[in-house]
Amino acid sequence: MVTKECLAEFEDKFKGEIREKKFLTPTQILYLVDKKDLPDMAYYLQYHPEFDESYYVMGIGSDERQLAGKFAYAPVINMLDGSGKRENFYVILKARLDKDNPEFPSVAQKLPAALWAEREVRDLLGFKPLDHPDLRRLITPEDWPEGVYPLRKDHAYNASPAGELQDGYKKAPEDTSTVPIGPYHMALDEPAHFRLFVKGEEIVDVDYRGFYSHRGIEKIGEGRLTYNQIFYIAERICGICGFQHSSAYAMAVENIAGVEIPARAQYIRTILLEIERIHSHLLWAGVACHLVGFDTGFMYAWRIREEPVMWLAERLTGNRKTYGMNIVGGVRRDFLDYRKTEILDKMKQLKKDVEKLYNIAVSSDILIKRAKDVGVLPYKVAKDYGVVGPTARASGRNIDVRRDHKVFAYKDVDFDVPVYKDGDVLARLLVRLDEVLQSISIIEQAVDQMPEGDIFTPIGKLPPYQEALGYTEAHRGEVIHYVLTGTNNKVYRWKVRAPTYNNLAAVPEMLKGYRVADAPLIIASIDPCYACTERVQIVDVKTGKVKALNEAEFNDLSIKASEEL
Amino acid sequence: MEDVKISYTESLISWKRPDLRVGVPVTVKYPLVPTEKPPEYRGKPHIDPNVCIGCGACVRACPADALTAEWDLENGLKSIVSNPARCIRCGRCEEACPTGAMKLTLEFELATPNKEDLVEVVEHHLTKCKKCGDYTEFTERQVEKAFQILPKEIVDANALGEKMQLCRECRMEESVKILAAQGRIIGDPLLLPPQHAKGGEK
Amino acid sequence: MMKTMSISVLGIIVGVVLVAILPPFLDGIARKVKARIQYRVGPPILQTYYDLQKLFGLPSLRPTENKWFRVAPYLALASAFSAAFLLPYGKWVPVKFSGDIVVFFYVLAMVSVAIIIGAFSTQNAHSNIGGHREMMMVLSVEPILGVALGIFAFKAGTLSLSAIPLKVPASFSTVLAYLLLIYAAYAESGFVPFDIAEAETEIAGGVLVEYSGRLLGVLEYAILAKRLVLLWLLSTFLTIPILRGIALTGVVGGIVVLAVQLILVLVAYPLIAALEATNARYRIDQAVALNTRIFLLSLVVLAVAAVGW
Ligand code: SF4
Ligand code: SF4
Repeated sequence: MVTKECLAEFEDKFKGEIREKKFLTPTQILYLVDKKDLPDMAYYLQYHPEFDESYYVMGIGSDERQLAGKFAYAPVINMLDGSGKRENFYVILKARLDKDNPEFPSVAQKLPAALWAEREVRDLLGFKPLDHPDLRRLITPEDWPEGVYPLRKDHAYNASPAGELQDGYKKAPEDTSTVPIGPYHMALDEPAHFRLFVKGEEIVDVDYRGFYSHRGIEKIGEGRLTYNQIFYIAERICGICGFQHSSAYAMAVENIAGVEIPARAQYIRTILLEIERIHSHLLWAGVACHLVGFDTGFMYAWRIREEPVMWLAERLTGNRKTYGMNIVGGVRRDFLDYRKTEILDKMKQLKKDVEKLYNIAVSSDILIKRAKDVGVLPYKVAKDYGVVGPTARASGRNIDVRRDHKVFAYKDVDFDVPVYKDGDVLARLLVRLDEVLQSISIIEQAVDQMPEGDIFTPIGKLPPYQEALGYTEAHRGEVIHYVLTGTNNKVYRWKVRAPTYNNLAAVPEMLKGYRVADAPLIIASIDPCYACTERVQIVDVKTGKVKALNEAEFNDLSIKASEEL
Repeated sequence: MEDVKISYTESLISWKRPDLRVGVPVTVKYPLVPTEKPPEYRGKPHIDPNVCIGCGACVRACPADALTAEWDLENGLKSIVSNPARCIRCGRCEEACPTGAMKLTLEFELATPNKEDLVEVVEHHLTKCKKCGDYTEFTERQVEKAFQILPKEIVDANALGEKMQLCRECRMEESVKILAAQGRIIGDPLLLPPQHAKGGEK
Repeated sequence: MMKTMSISVLGIIVGVVLVAILPPFLDGIARKVKARIQYRVGPPILQTYYDLQKLFGLPSLRPTENKWFRVAPYLALASAFSAAFLLPYGKWVPVKFSGDIVVFFYVLAMVSVAIIIGAFSTQNAHSNIGGHREMMMVLSVEPILGVALGIFAFKAGTLSLSAIPLKVPASFSTVLAYLLLIYAAYAESGFVPFDIAEAETEIAGGVLVEYSGRLLGVLEYAILAKRLVLLWLLSTFLTIPILRGIALTGVVGGIVVLAVQLILVLVAYPLIAALEATNARYRIDQAVALNTRIFLLSLVVLAVAAVGW
């Protein structure tokens, strides 16, 4: 294992702070560290000279007072060697925080990627990141009372107290007017609120306020369900990448149980993950066309998404979208035999259709004009913010969990990871279209090579108080789940980090300097999924809505009742 | 001046549609024409009341609480209630069912002004305790089925033939008595039995 | 200027009937054509009538006390109708006087101006941006239309809109002027890629965002009517010079010309729909840049015309 020598330097540098080292799996290393040097450690790992594509993945906050008498905060770094020579791995830096005063030096002061994660642990667990540059509320709604921290274990999963309304918006810069996009807007499929501060049509600054649709999924998973029931809610975290979430969760639990799932199950998961990716990318391509008023491209993309892709998903899994195929230890159902040729036929048809879509999209000059050099995200910013998925690959980041961490059957099939340097909306479009063709090829190979055999390894009781990560490369980037088991087949802490969580934080950077007309396209170009991002805490959706409408601006307008003219 | 547009017009002309349906729209007049339902499809769950034994395995498996068991110990009834409006079509119940009574159908057109219309109830009679005459927590069919599938040796070895005819309280008393007779429990056996099975699962 | 004014009652009737009935029908055709290009069945041809009927039956919300908000849609519609009255329908011209080309130009612009007034009468940011964009479009397209009409007037030697097609000579500059006119009519109509002021997915309908119910119906109707006026202008300018011989010869000739005008419009609309379906929307700065370039081109054409080609 190469990891040892690379980490020797790290361990040497921070020897005073590292208390314990544990291999959760051969590629997941947990360091129990002192909180004092957390920012330096995270910074050192993210900008490691040899693991040049490394990035900050997420920050896990958990209430481990019942286990260790303390809170825990754990930044996770994905250590990636861009040259592909070394084995990649995950590092979890777990710091215990005092139970009465959970302070820690903010990682975000050095790494912008941690900005949101630390606002999140402040909101949900009451941690105090010291020297954090922007500690406004992120997740809890404006009327959530101070001092109530929903992810603490002493907060009931269905409690939803009311508090005073606060104003959480950024102040508009001088001489600008505010253009709100959302909370409801045609260009957004889900509620989210971007406030564009504009001069004329040019965007000067941006504020984002979201998390209007939290469902408290993590809390429900921790409080109410058994580990095998969590699948069904994990799958419903997102309407697009549901299977990615359920596979990532399955992987985390399987890592804890220490089972290797049967090869056939791995292949089935791989095929379904790729079908889901194709469907998502086509959906996105359609939406992008629609946003620039190119409705024929929109209809075409959605038609081919419907006919071969969703059609196939329904036949392979029993449903168009919620596949319900995963279980800890494998998959629940096998494919019917005669479906094999059908998959191959449909893939052939799809390949033709996608190439046509490619032609239509690329031959539309105006589409190209609208997408080129718009919403540029430079490589450096992408790395600083830990941007993932096609958004990152369009900015020259050579990262892809499927390849880098050899999940499921991806280790047995050949595929390219398209990377573009330009970082604009067009590059994000091209990355996705290229990926669709790659996915088709992955599916074809997987169907050909699929071994016979079991689809499921039974596992019994889970060992209590063990932790591990599970991850997949979803259509929007790395989906990562952290599971800490509890007793009685329940989960003590389940943390989900969806790709949009990292990507969305970087959107304000992409918007600055462009025009209002570009904003919907730029926002859409990361393929944002608010449902994924906002799974964390229980929020009374109604109050969230009312507050959003109560803004001063809408107040002024005070829409009068209808009046006959 | 119109030159900008030529490339689109050209691309429109050169854009070959799939041969099968030139100019034929793909719109389906869906509710007027039926759609194809693949055999894998997971639709509304249905319990075959003739096969169900009322064991409640499906109830325990259901992650969405779409299935519940309702007890009426006064009248000796246990009902398995399926509420498809809560169901997420995961199919766990089908996997858990020991008799094959629970099946996901191909039905998906469930629009109704009243969700209660969808509810299915399968009622089972509970057996009576041989000793005290109260109802036990076993349904008649469950007992029947148990004798059918369990090998005779196991039934005999555990004296199940007797035990299954008793309510939980009496069963406990019996067990305690037996154990006490064997000298494995010390103390007053009557202090130990747990509550009578009133209330039930939900 | 008004001394030679003539009014044709028959022309008014024909004009009113056409402008009142045709625009939603044409829109219905366009929707159907677009649907077919996109592999859809599409709504019934008469769908736009149904839509308008529904809108007319609904009350409008008033987001502002500003009375211009309520006046603007009617102003737009009235302007569109006024412009329609200056165009010839076959042999019949509802209203005709020397210099009416200037009036035509202004009332046509008034449609946009009314929309802009409506857009700025509210405080909605999307509406204001839409109004701003509409203004940029008008300011950059109207000059092209003006120059094109100017060339025609200059070549025909008359300032009466309905007289121009009867007199305009065939020459190099008039051919170019036709191309300019086609472009200007298309862009001014706000078809994709020039639907920038409404841009549903960007600014939520822009100029239309605050309108609802009957006012929205009137406004949409005005926009459709304006499109018909521009298209009718184009078809007139194409038809009458060719059919000049029979245009003024009795009722039959008049009806024939009217029929040809109508057919041309009915043919052109689906083509426009196809063009719309295969295009994406311009960003306002891109559209303005394109318009500016074409305006400069139009000045060259004007110079060519002045030279006498
Ligand atoms: S399909 Fe799933 S949710 Fe529905 S009744 Fe069965 S177990 Fe419950
Ligand atoms: S598991 Fe089957 S037999 Fe048992 S109650 Fe449910 S449907 Fe009836």
